[in-house]
Amino acid sequence: MRFFVRRGIFYVVTAWAAVTINFIIPRLMPGDPVKAIMAKSQGKLDSSAEAAIRTLFGLDEDKSVWQQYLDYWNLLLHGNLGVSFTYYPTPVAEMIQQTLPWTVGLVGIATVVAFLVGTLVGTGIGWRRGTWADSLLPISTFFSAVPYFWLGLVVIAIFSVNLGWFPSSGAYDRSMVPAFTPEFIGSVLYYGTLPALTIVISSIAGWILGMRNMMVTVSSEDYVTVAQAKGLSERAVVFGYAARNAVLPQISSFALSLGFIVGGTLIMEMVFSYPGIGFLLYNATTNHDYTLMQGCFLVITLSVLVANVVADFVYAVLDPRTRQEG
Amino acid sequence: MRTRKLATMVAGLSAVALLATACSGGGGTSDDSTGGGDGAVLTIGMPNGPQNENQSPLIPTGSAAKSLGYAWVIYESLMQVNDVNPLEDPEPWLAESVTWNADYTEAKIVAREGVTWSDGEEFTAEDIGFTLQLLIDYPAINNNFPDQIGSVSTEGDTVTITFTAPQYVNQVKLLQQVIVPEHLWKDVDPTTYTDTDPVGTGPYLLDTWTPQAATLVPNPDYWGGEPKVAKLQYSSYNDNNALTTALTTGEAQWGWTFIADFEDVFIAKDPEHNHQVAGGGFGSDILFLNNETKPFNDVAFRKALNLVVDRAQISNLAGAGVWPVITSVTGMPMPSGEQYLADDLVGEELEVDVDAAKDLLTDAGYTWNADDKLVDPDGEVVTFELVNPAGWNDYLTALDLIKTAAAELGVDATVNAANQDAWFNDIIPFGNFQATLHWTDGGATPWNMYANLMDGASYVPLGETATWNFGRYKNDEVTQALAEFKGASDEAARSAAIATVQKAYVEDVPGLVIWSRPAVAQYSTKNYTGFPTADDLYANPQPTGPQAARIVMNLEPTQD
Repeated sequence: MRFFVRRGIFYVVTAWAAVTINFIIPRLMPGDPVKAIMAKSQGKLDSSAEAAIRTLFGLDEDKSVWQQYLDYWNLLLHGNLGVSFTYYPTPVAEMIQQTLPWTVGLVGIATVVAFLVGTLVGTGIGWRRGTWADSLLPISTFFSAVPYFWLGLVVIAIFSVNLGWFPSSGAYDRSMVPAFTPEFIGSVLYYGTLPALTIVISSIAGWILGMRNMMVTVSSEDYVTVAQAKGLSERAVVFGYAARNAVLPQISSFALSLGFIVGGTLIMEMVFSYPGIGFLLYNATTNHDYTLMQGCFLVITLSVLVANVVADFVYAVLDPRTRQEG
Repeated sequence: MRTRKLATMVAGLSAVALLATACSGGGGTSDDSTGGGDGAVLTIGMPNGPQNENQSPLIPTGSAAKSLGYAWVIYESLMQVNDVNPLEDPEPWLAESVTWNADYTEAKIVAREGVTWSDGEEFTAEDIGFTLQLLIDYPAINNNFPDQIGSVSTEGDTVTITFTAPQYVNQVKLLQQVIVPEHLWKDVDPTTYTDTDPVGTGPYLLDTWTPQAATLVPNPDYWGGEPKVAKLQYSSYNDNNALTTALTTGEAQWGWTFIADFEDVFIAKDPEHNHQVAGGGFGSDILFLNNETKPFNDVAFRKALNLVVDRAQISNLAGAGVWPVITSVTGMPMPSGEQYLADDLVGEELEVDVDAAKDLLTDAGYTWNADDKLVDPDGEVVTFELVNPAGWNDYLTALDLIKTAAAELGVDATVNAANQDAWFNDIIPFGNFQATLHWTDGGATPWNMYANLMDGASYVPLGETATWNFGRYKNDEVTQALAEFKGASDEAARSAAIATVQKAYVEDVPGLVIWSRPAVAQYSTKNYTGFPTADDLYANPQPTGPQAARIVMNLEPTQD
């Protein structure tokens, strides 16, 4: 129990530090949101608009950084992430709410699929090392080595532009309104196929490789030999003894990759015009939209933190050695 | 073996998915029978990323309706202006007429009769007066006339607005002012109101909205008759690449994105229907030269550089042919500038002439050393640095070409790709550069372009924050002429004033206009025709602006 309490305190302190750093970093960035908006419009917005926009955002009043920090915590504790500049006057929380489900849904499912398939394939290859199955490794490694945006563009060129099988952008048919109807869900699946497939293809190599190498190590352990000597079925030995131990490091890296889902998908969202949070953060950064940036960072930091907590505890449950103290 | 399996799997998946969308597509088109035409949806795409639900037409930034452009088919402006020739009789729209007094400090606006808001209420002059009053009450939405509106009063069907300064050069901004209904906006704060259920006078009504797209259907009671496009769908793409793909595959049929090599990438995909059109105006990109430091403090050197920079080559290579070439020595984009050309400069074209440039330099006391490098009269080798933010590829390519041109004079120029924030905050305002490219405000007359470059009223010494005139050009005659042009009450005075400015531009070369930057748009005539064309440029061709209502009303189903 003491273990859990100590870990709990550690995570609370980490969360405080994360939120504070989150507050400081955007303010260390050079630049000014109004200038960024003017730059983006490149002459389309008359220079006389600058004063109006400054008034609109309330940037014409000066506040000390300390006051801003207190305001920030005050808003945060009320569940308020502030108002976005880029999407003025929409609250940041609303923008995150609008984009987060798409990222978590698509990338989440793709990550789980890549993890499951990769781990299974890795188990197989590791157990039967030295057979034809080993040739899968260089193939999958090739796809993970190829830059993702290139893979995405090639896939769009082949399957959307030339063959016309799949749409090239968006998360669902643009004439539809999100609703839980079979048509809409079908549309989401259809539009999600290419992005999800490319993510799986480009990330599966890591899972295969990790699992295969652990399987190779584990399969020469005494307890595996014992299990085989007991006359257990091949299946029982692989999954009950070898894979069960080999999968431990996979679990911890899976938990970490869950945390990165939220922030690590910018390129997919750009290539496929997917309305997720990665692109929202990118937009916020290029526009010096402090509040939106903080909101996105907060969600990302907290999700990494939560994934860590979960990994820590799951690991502790799976592997009693980690709970032992002294 | 494995690949074949994968292929069948993918094919199977796509078949299921195709089936799913086929069903939904059918469901979507079945209710398209209203509104005439052949029922095809017109899809308008912009590369603006995911949107937030904000349909306000007044807020200067953050509104999805303005960003994608559908604000302009729901709400309407006072008049329709043609960007190619902004001052030529504007077409009455929500206003029957707008009459200015002699020095452009007061305008009388007569409201159109027989117009109703889409909720059934009658549109009156009160609505115009109310909207203009909002601009006074809320400086945050007054982006066109900061601090310059004096008063607004309404009497019968006429609204009178007074300004604290002459608005000749800004008159189009008033004509393009969008009007909102008083009965719905009088109780809200227009700086935070998101107007999710917009009520306007325009030809279309908002039907559905999602972060990806807005769908609009015709307004059956529109004062201008029923529109012929059955449905408008405004889609947002995350970047230029995605929109380019959508335009080339026909998924989007109207929009604007910079497509380098647009002839091959876009038009060649469907030469019969795909078009790209540029829309006039006075927007341009200028190479600002620092007139107060070496080597550009010498007019002879500025003139020599002007003589070797090949505008056509830059427009073609750096601007991918999208931005039109500047041909007139006055720097004015044509044909917009024709009516302002000084008599003695008509037909004077820019020409690359290295020999003439060298003669000019020799006359001014420049020499060339043993390495063929240019040496100024003080005995120093001439070099300069060109700077622009990294990542602004069209600008940086243009700088590279200017650098190559300078080499013909024996000058070693360098191109520095700076950090964007540093450029905005330190380099541009304080004049910490020798030469840099910057855009100008568009405007209805060449006043903005010249004033942004040469107006002594914006002159501040090096090291202080400049808003325009980054090159620190100072010529009292020009400053006075620019002020006269803005405030003059007769045509002759204005012509004389702008001629003075042009003469100074040609003689002093305070900076180099590199190319014009008009409004450009891409569209496909596969389903609808009637867009502005190069031959009949009746409006700015972009979907984002008050002209959208006029263009949409001009569209008709394509007859095959």
